[in-house]
Amino acid sequence: MSIKYLFLLSRQGKIRLAKWYDTISQKEKGKITRELSTLILSRRAKMCNVLEYKDMKIVYRRYASLFFIVGIESGDNELLALEIIHRFVEQMDKMYGNVCELDIIFGFDKAYHILDELLLDGYIQESSKKEVLRRVGQQDELENMDELDQILA
Amino acid sequence: MKGLNQFIVDIRNSKDIEEEKKRINLELNNIQSKFNSNINSYQKKKYVCKLIYIYLSGYADSVDFGLKESFQLVCSSSHSEKQLGYLALSVLINNDKSTQSTRDFLDSLLDQVHSYLIKDLQSSNEDTNCLAVQFIASNFNLPESTTVRVNEADESAPKWLELIDIVYSFVTSPIHKSVIKKKAAIALYSLLKLYPQVLISNNNWIPRLLSLADDKDYGVSIASIPLIQFVVKSKPQFVKAIIPAISLKLYNIIIENKCPEEYYYYKSPAPWLVVKLLQLIEYFFFLSDTNDYAVLSIADLDEQTLNNLRSVVAQSIQNASQPIKGLPNRNSQSSTLFQAVSLAVFLDASSDAINGAINALMMLLTSNETNTRYLALDALIKLTARSTSNNLSASPSIDEKYTKIFKLLYDRDISVRRKSLDLLYTITNASSYSMVITKLLDYFPLCDFTLKPELAIKIAVLAEKFATDSTWYVTTMLKLLSISGGVNSNGTNYIGNEVWERIVQIIVNNEDLQKKTSKLIINLLKKPFSSTDNTPIALSENLIKVAAFVLGEYGDQVTYMSELSTKLQFHLLYDAYFKVSLTTRAMLLTTFLKFFVKYPDEDFIPEIMDLFEIEELSLDLEIQTRAHEYLTLATHKYSQQLFKEVLKPMPIFVKKESHLMDRIGSVSHIVGVNRSKSLVLAKNISSNKSKAARGIDSSPILDENSDGSNPFEEESKPVVLSPNWYSGYHRMLHYDAGIFYEDQLIKITYRVIKEGCALTLKLTIINNSAKTAGTDITGLTVLNLESLTDDHDPNYVLNLKQLPESTFHDKANMEISVKIRNVVENHESPILSITFMCGGSFNTLNLKFPVLLLKTLTSTALNGLDEFNRRWAQIGELLGPQGESSQAVNLTHRYNSSNIVRLLSRLGFAVVHATSDETDNTILVMGAGILHTQKTNYGVLATLKSTDQVGKEFEVAIRCSGGGVAEVVAITMKEILEGKF
Repeated sequence: MSIKYLFLLSRQGKIRLAKWYDTISQKEKGKITRELSTLILSRRAKMCNVLEYKDMKIVYRRYASLFFIVGIESGDNELLALEIIHRFVEQMDKMYGNVCELDIIFGFDKAYHILDELLLDGYIQESSKKEVLRRVGQQDELENMDELDQILA
Repeated sequence: MKGLNQFIVDIRNSKDIEEEKKRINLELNNIQSKFNSNINSYQKKKYVCKLIYIYLSGYADSVDFGLKESFQLVCSSSHSEKQLGYLALSVLINNDKSTQSTRDFLDSLLDQVHSYLIKDLQSSNEDTNCLAVQFIASNFNLPESTTVRVNEADESAPKWLELIDIVYSFVTSPIHKSVIKKKAAIALYSLLKLYPQVLISNNNWIPRLLSLADDKDYGVSIASIPLIQFVVKSKPQFVKAIIPAISLKLYNIIIENKCPEEYYYYKSPAPWLVVKLLQLIEYFFFLSDTNDYAVLSIADLDEQTLNNLRSVVAQSIQNASQPIKGLPNRNSQSSTLFQAVSLAVFLDASSDAINGAINALMMLLTSNETNTRYLALDALIKLTARSTSNNLSASPSIDEKYTKIFKLLYDRDISVRRKSLDLLYTITNASSYSMVITKLLDYFPLCDFTLKPELAIKIAVLAEKFATDSTWYVTTMLKLLSISGGVNSNGTNYIGNEVWERIVQIIVNNEDLQKKTSKLIINLLKKPFSSTDNTPIALSENLIKVAAFVLGEYGDQVTYMSELSTKLQFHLLYDAYFKVSLTTRAMLLTTFLKFFVKYPDEDFIPEIMDLFEIEELSLDLEIQTRAHEYLTLATHKYSQQLFKEVLKPMPIFVKKESHLMDRIGSVSHIVGVNRSKSLVLAKNISSNKSKAARGIDSSPILDENSDGSNPFEEESKPVVLSPNWYSGYHRMLHYDAGIFYEDQLIKITYRVIKEGCALTLKLTIINNSAKTAGTDITGLTVLNLESLTDDHDPNYVLNLKQLPESTFHDKANMEISVKIRNVVENHESPILSITFMCGGSFNTLNLKFPVLLLKTLTSTALNGLDEFNRRWAQIGELLGPQGESSQAVNLTHRYNSSNIVRLLSRLGFAVVHATSDETDNTILVMGAGILHTQKTNYGVLATLKSTDQVGKEFEVAIRCSGGGVAEVVAITMKEILEGKF
């Protein structure tokens, strides 16, 4: 019951962020992203957010110019996967303050960081928004401290 | 980092892919040369960042260096450098995975990072610990399907073990923060998947890991679910121990609304946790042990647990039936609903409850959101496919429901259309099939091109499965074929060959259909179905194929009617000849040869000959060959015998399975598809609800290791009993109430209630620490109730009637009922395992309690000593040495006659004779009683005679009316008297 992969796709078909929780060969990854990009970009706005793809289910959601795409096992709960996406977006929104595609492009480290605190190895690690943000905030602080140390040294 | 930002901007500004590539190659060279020179740690960090960015931008192949620098970063004392180092490692090490086997990859990965990981895991800084744990969780994970396992004999095993030990200590230690516990739980899961042996050899880990599900921190609970699932899968006997805690947790969240503020998602309390827990319980119902028996059935759940689960399901259904504002809210409520509905079937819910679920789902079908409609359909399919009685089709106002579903066939979204088709397929039954099929046939012309093949097959399967009237069947199928004419853009038919081939098989195998079909098919060719509105429809190739076969074989059976004459038949087929594809033409050629042989005097013979001649020049090899051979046969006027050999009638088909089933598509693996075994017109389709059909592979995880190295098949070590268990056990042997166990934290008192062959054991668990330390007992779980009797024909049956509350301040009650079925051997007494937390310490108690034959003894009133002696002699005559057993007993202190009398009456004997305490003679006490078992009752006679002068040595002689039983009783008596085992 784990998430197999998650990636962010821009409307132009560029991958903005990708996380693979399964051991998949590079070639296969390329194939999956290509196929899903064409499939999902061609879907209309009012269509259902769940796709059956191979033996999996793909849950996706569009936020402004970005598609958030999640691959889950076919027996898993689709709506919750959809809400994980939403939770992720909420958290990024809080972190960056009105998140947009450019934030993710330039601050990709932070986006990965939030994702890592939310999901670990494809399993939900923490569903509380506050807890995740607290962790990420802490890490940022640590980083600032490091920089301060460096300047002082 | 300015340099990195500039680099990203540069890449974004590149005009085309060439420029981007150039920029990246430039940067790669730059980084490489920088790495070779002397750079400070900040620069190192920056260049590694750039490398990662290049990797992410899709140039993974070009990034083949930088590992050394990443390791240097990992060793850094600064947190951000360490963090980046791990990130870079996981990206760069993963990169060259494709060239080697998973096993080699893991070993080399372990070799490279092991020492760094250990160092960071042992660090006193929690953030450093986190980084290492996170690395383990995300890099040592394998898909569940792989067979790569670490074994004890492996060279790398000690290294793995070292990691596992540390991670395990993170998971269970009370001093670590939940943040690291969460990560460690997932990391431990990854590691144990690799090295499952560890779990087997560390039996004492299991209770601690299971208790994670009930952790106060919801984050820890949710993160430990995969681990718990894995533990229970490896050791299914623990499933009963964990369900009560989970169901209580669910109950608290859903019914009591006890959920920490920050775990609310909008207005729903902890939806992720709820859904995962529901999924987990559902998974437990699918588990089976090595003998393929289901591990869990509702009979195993105690009343309280079952009620909790049922109310959770009911409440979730009710919650979702009310109008909810806000999309995230609706989504999370519905997701809980779908999960609850999916579990409902296993809980043996009343039909009311199922109907409630169906109604709630039906309501969602009209929702404005595509997702909800789609998923509600999906849930309905699961629900109907799993429940034994077809609830949906039997539920009230079914017509209305069908109307609703049919409407969804015209939904905006094709996914919804496909799902509603699947649902219709699942719910169609013997009473609704004709209505459904008619509607589906009407739908066919309007249906999407991509959906048509599936639709056709579903119609065909349904028709075959339910049809009771052969004419109806043939009409329906021919109608299906005639309206499914035309090809899609790829030039292939909408419907696969399987459909028409199946019809032909059925016609060949059923003689009474042959004539009927011939008639129908001729009429159809004359006047296609949809020609009513005068729109020309595409000629259906499939129909022509069937016609070619049927008329060729059986056309002669109907020629007595003028409107169905041979001539007409020929012209219908001949007209179609040039409009159809080459394969169909080849079939028609054969049909024409059959006509040529069957009706040599008809005036269309020259036309056939002409056709053969023309087709002899065909470019298609198959047609040319056929035409040439047939022409040769026809012109040489061979004997009738030869023709008969060439055109033998079709033999009966023997294959039982319909090929259609191979093509049924998506429903087959969700649904327990009923495969029709009978060749045609099956009236009784037995519902095949096997495990496999439920769609979950429930085989034990290590099935694939057939070389006997399967660690899960090993005998698990016997449970080690807690110290001081014996005094309670011995007390329970002869007293019916008292203290069963006591230590500083906890005291357990018991009361035994006897009723024939049934015993009820009431235990009260008292918190001793409440007085001393004022702490509560939490997380009290009955881990196991292990009976040591034979599994297949148990001598006694245990049932946990009442579970103790998991958290209490002063005391909790539990109740175990025991039914003695047969003669219980003395070594078969069960072991009760309890775990609990008290003030941060985790405790396990393994206590044996006596379930012995002697416990079911009741007194019987014999008429004095004479009767006793008569019976005594009787048993001796009847059974001889089998009926008697005697034991010499050495007591630690003196007994007099009245002590013995009290002891015997406490055990349940009626004392018939006792010497007086005053005399100095030998003490002699005799008693009689009846032993109850479910199968039969035994009479027991006991004689205790002192063999010394002081009353410390006795001889116990038992005679019993059952062969061999006396010995069992005598040994028990000896144990009671001596207090040793």
